[in-house]
Amino acid sequence: MNIQKLKDEAKRAIGRKEVTHLIGYQKGSYGFRISPIFIETKEELDRLTFSPLCSLSLVNYLTIEGKPAQVQSEEEKKSKAKKVAIFVRGCDSRALNQIIAEKGLSRESLYIIGIPCKGVIDLKKIEAQFPNVVDPAEVVEENGKYIITINDQTHEVPKEELIADTCKVCQYPTPLTYNKLLGDKLEGNPANYDDIQKLEEKTPEEKWSFWQNQLDRCIRCYACKNSCPLCYCDGCILDKLTPQWVRRSVDTNENLMFHVTRAFHLAGRCVSCGECERVCPVGIPLMKLNRKMEKDVKELFDFEAGKDPEVKPLLNTFNIEDPDDFVL
Amino acid sequence: MSEFEPNIVAFLCNWCSYAGADLTGTTRTHYPPTVKVIRVMCTGRVNPLFVLQALRQGADGVLISGCHPGECHYLKGNFLARRRFLLMKNLLEYIGINPSRIRMSWVSASEGKKFADVITEVTEDIKKLGPLKSFKREIL
Repeated sequence: MNIQKLKDEAKRAIGRKEVTHLIGYQKGSYGFRISPIFIETKEELDRLTFSPLCSLSLVNYLTIEGKPAQVQSEEEKKSKAKKVAIFVRGCDSRALNQIIAEKGLSRESLYIIGIPCKGVIDLKKIEAQFPNVVDPAEVVEENGKYIITINDQTHEVPKEELIADTCKVCQYPTPLTYNKLLGDKLEGNPANYDDIQKLEEKTPEEKWSFWQNQLDRCIRCYACKNSCPLCYCDGCILDKLTPQWVRRSVDTNENLMFHVTRAFHLAGRCVSCGECERVCPVGIPLMKLNRKMEKDVKELFDFEAGKDPEVKPLLNTFNIEDPDDFVL
Repeated sequence: MSEFEPNIVAFLCNWCSYAGADLTGTTRTHYPPTVKVIRVMCTGRVNPLFVLQALRQGADGVLISGCHPGECHYLKGNFLARRRFLLMKNLLEYIGINPSRIRMSWVSASEGKKFADVITEVTEDIKKLGPLKSFKREIL
């Protein structure tokens, strides 16, 4: 990814009258960290960056300054309504598509700059290999290897060792919706649900003890919920007290209820960005739950979330031909 | 020890299945007394959270019953419910809960006999499985 090209494009976006601010990536305060940046003036553009370290999704930050206005009428669409410019990777663009389909955002209030993404680094993996890095490090991808520069020393690590697990099975590396695309389109991987199938084939007791062991560790920090680009409801069942669907006590049963509900609320909506698994402080394989739903939705209803902003959300629609054999 | 009597929560739609269950009673058809009926206006009204909560608060199985496809009083409520509970059932199966604990059926207002059959079948299945311990709240 050519950083200069990225900055030029950002400059052009910021230069547009209707764009209020741009959301991008900047280097974090230490080590391999990356943080979001909100750019309003041209002077700040120099801080923009993009590297395989940019694993966080910027879609969540769209709502930080208040949701961009919903554009309803045709007149508003034609008039130059205020827009927010945002950098998106393949998965982020699917999240945006899905939110637009659910009428959570209007396409007209966004100026989307797409970045074809070759996969990002799992922070846990790189920090395990290079512990206690204080000074900001640089990572460049070249020929299937990551070239990592820490304090003027370069290290070469094969891509396979550091890339995030979700990126290994990424089907849509190129953004599906954008105003401007930086770079060439990339081919995605074919759908692969082998790991899910393996777990499905176990006996109920094995499955139960697997999930019990995993979810027992949950400390209910709700990082998975807060980082999820699709968890944007104003009212959430987790905050509700009457009735209190999920208690605050951290025990297996309440944890299970939380995770089952979370996974179900993402049925037909999850875009497999892997954000939940990335932020989990205790390393619960949450994508195994989400990908199960994704697999079912694809097999049973031939539906994929976030492919088209015009398609109605899965659970709001039906097909008379839907599978019916489980009904008595 | 006496035989295990399952505890089944049934969400019945007001227009078909509830009337069907009523007919079962009026025609004096016998069926196992294991079912606790909750009347809802439509199967589309049944939030998957209701099912989870029922299982956690002591039910060994849940039945959702509504009008036959195409006969919904609200035109499409049962179609939406069908999609929802197929996914829910698969998800619960994936975490290790037997899918026969979550059942769905179409019972119209004239099918009193069918309602009795459905309840008998569901009760038999859950009797074989035994009580659901894993998903229950420790403190209610």
